[in-house]
Amino acid sequence: MTARRPGAGLRRRGGPARLLSRGSRVTMWLGLLLGVAVYTAFGLLPAAGNLLVSLTDYSGLAGSTTDFTGLANYTALLTSERPGFVASLIATVIFVSAVTFFQNAFALLIAHRLVREGKLESLLRVLVFLPIVLGVTIVGLIWILIFDPSGGPAASLFGAVGIHSAFFGSSGAALPLVIGVQVWQNTGFSTLVFIGGLKAISPDIYEAASLDGIGRWQRLRRITFPLLAPSVTVNVLLAVVGAFTTYNLIYVLTDGLYNTNTLGMLAFTSAFGTSANLGLGAAVSIVLFAMTLVVAVPLMVWLRRRQRRLFA
Amino acid sequence: MRHPNAVARATGALLIIIIFALPVLYVIMISVESPAHFLNSPLVPPTSPAFGNFSQAWTGANLGQELINTVIYSVAAAAVSTALSLLIAFPVARRLVRGSGAIYGMLAIGLFLPLAIIPLFIEARSLGLYNNQIGYIILHVEPGLPLGVVLLTAFISAVPRELDEAAWMDGAGYLRYLIRVVVPLTRPALVISFLYALLNVWNDIIGPVVFLVDPSLFPVTRGIYNFFGSNESQWTLLAAAIVIASLPVVALFAVSQRQLIRAAVTGSVKG
Repeated sequence: MTARRPGAGLRRRGGPARLLSRGSRVTMWLGLLLGVAVYTAFGLLPAAGNLLVSLTDYSGLAGSTTDFTGLANYTALLTSERPGFVASLIATVIFVSAVTFFQNAFALLIAHRLVREGKLESLLRVLVFLPIVLGVTIVGLIWILIFDPSGGPAASLFGAVGIHSAFFGSSGAALPLVIGVQVWQNTGFSTLVFIGGLKAISPDIYEAASLDGIGRWQRLRRITFPLLAPSVTVNVLLAVVGAFTTYNLIYVLTDGLYNTNTLGMLAFTSAFGTSANLGLGAAVSIVLFAMTLVVAVPLMVWLRRRQRRLFA
Repeated sequence: MRHPNAVARATGALLIIIIFALPVLYVIMISVESPAHFLNSPLVPPTSPAFGNFSQAWTGANLGQELINTVIYSVAAAAVSTALSLLIAFPVARRLVRGSGAIYGMLAIGLFLPLAIIPLFIEARSLGLYNNQIGYIILHVEPGLPLGVVLLTAFISAVPRELDEAAWMDGAGYLRYLIRVVVPLTRPALVISFLYALLNVWNDIIGPVVFLVDPSLFPVTRGIYNFFGSNESQWTLLAAAIVIASLPVVALFAVSQRQLIRAAVTGSVKG
């Protein structure tokens, strides 16, 4: 980004663009403006628009009127007017912490196994990445088939040891299962990030360590883990932000029922569910965004500080 | 000779295969089981595969129409998104316009912006983008821009500036220069942004639920999701629908996995 400009002298007369013909400069500007306009219209404006919509009672239904209602949507969330908000907060906290922990622990283990170069390793890297390519709908439906309470292999497996459950239709099992599928779906990407991080560690360091007679565990704890700090930063943040904002997988698996109504899902069902209330949904989105920032920003600061400390 | 390391490695590989391949293999297996066979012994591979599930799923879920829709949506949106990314990234990377840094920052923020589906829905309806193919494509261009611009800016910075100056002094036009010189030199980044944008559109399930109501416009994600709702307990049929719906992306992945995976591995080192 901060590229040095050897030809800075050109800038005085309009910069390097001066070399382009007038027509070409117009084309360049049109292309740039078109791109920025699309980004503004469908990225920035809607993101900011949430705030505006959240202050109204807009229903989106034809023939209904829309009024400015101030903070009514927010107070409705906090009072008993809208039951389910607290349950949703709890589900979100469990979902985000469990997904972040398991996705990273799991990815680190797999990356440790797949960092070597080999035919089998590159094949397995493709395999762990496959769920990302298949996408949330296919992945969700695969696991629905497997955990089908009457015709799935999981039911017979658990049935054999006397456990009977409705799985995705059970208020006890649904959230842990949804967490499991979210981890299964996204571990591949975290794994690849960790593999990149492991590969960036110079083999000389390991060589020096083995000359010093450092054991396997010590090597992992004292060398690999600290030097992996940048990948840990990236992966933890991606998992946290991803888990906070995701709801498409939950939509496919449980539609937010059975204690899986995270804030992302609640925003969606408030807006597009049976009692269509786009204003309320937008208010939930804003709460979710604020919560993501409150968690992710200090986490980022802490992870970066940790990274510097471990590297120094 | 049995080395403990080799045993641990084999166990690790086996566990990865069980966790990631077995669920997929299960679905593929039952997709070729007849319903009668499935009821008696679902976990025993059938001796004679029942391909009837596939033709039944194909017509029952209207997969042909939906796959065509999906290809149109995802290829068009990803192509426009990648082209626009290039049109933003080049002047920004070369600092041809004032505020290049600000434009770059504004787009990079997009990697973290919350997806605002509710305002987008309102926008889609007031701009006439709701429930039509062109609108659906336009709505799916923006999500690919942040990654595309960030990637392409990095790649363009590696293209020598002297190439621009030489070509422009010879009077080469801007677009011709981009297509003839910049596109070939930044091909890996273009391919990666195109593929990620394409996967994003292809696999979207919320978009089709919010922006489309007419079943003839549905992409395969929503079609197959609905098919699940209306064919409960027809497990072998549902499995066949899953297999058909995944084949195109799996085939695309088979030819592009090198780029996709390398992008994820190397992209993280720089971070």
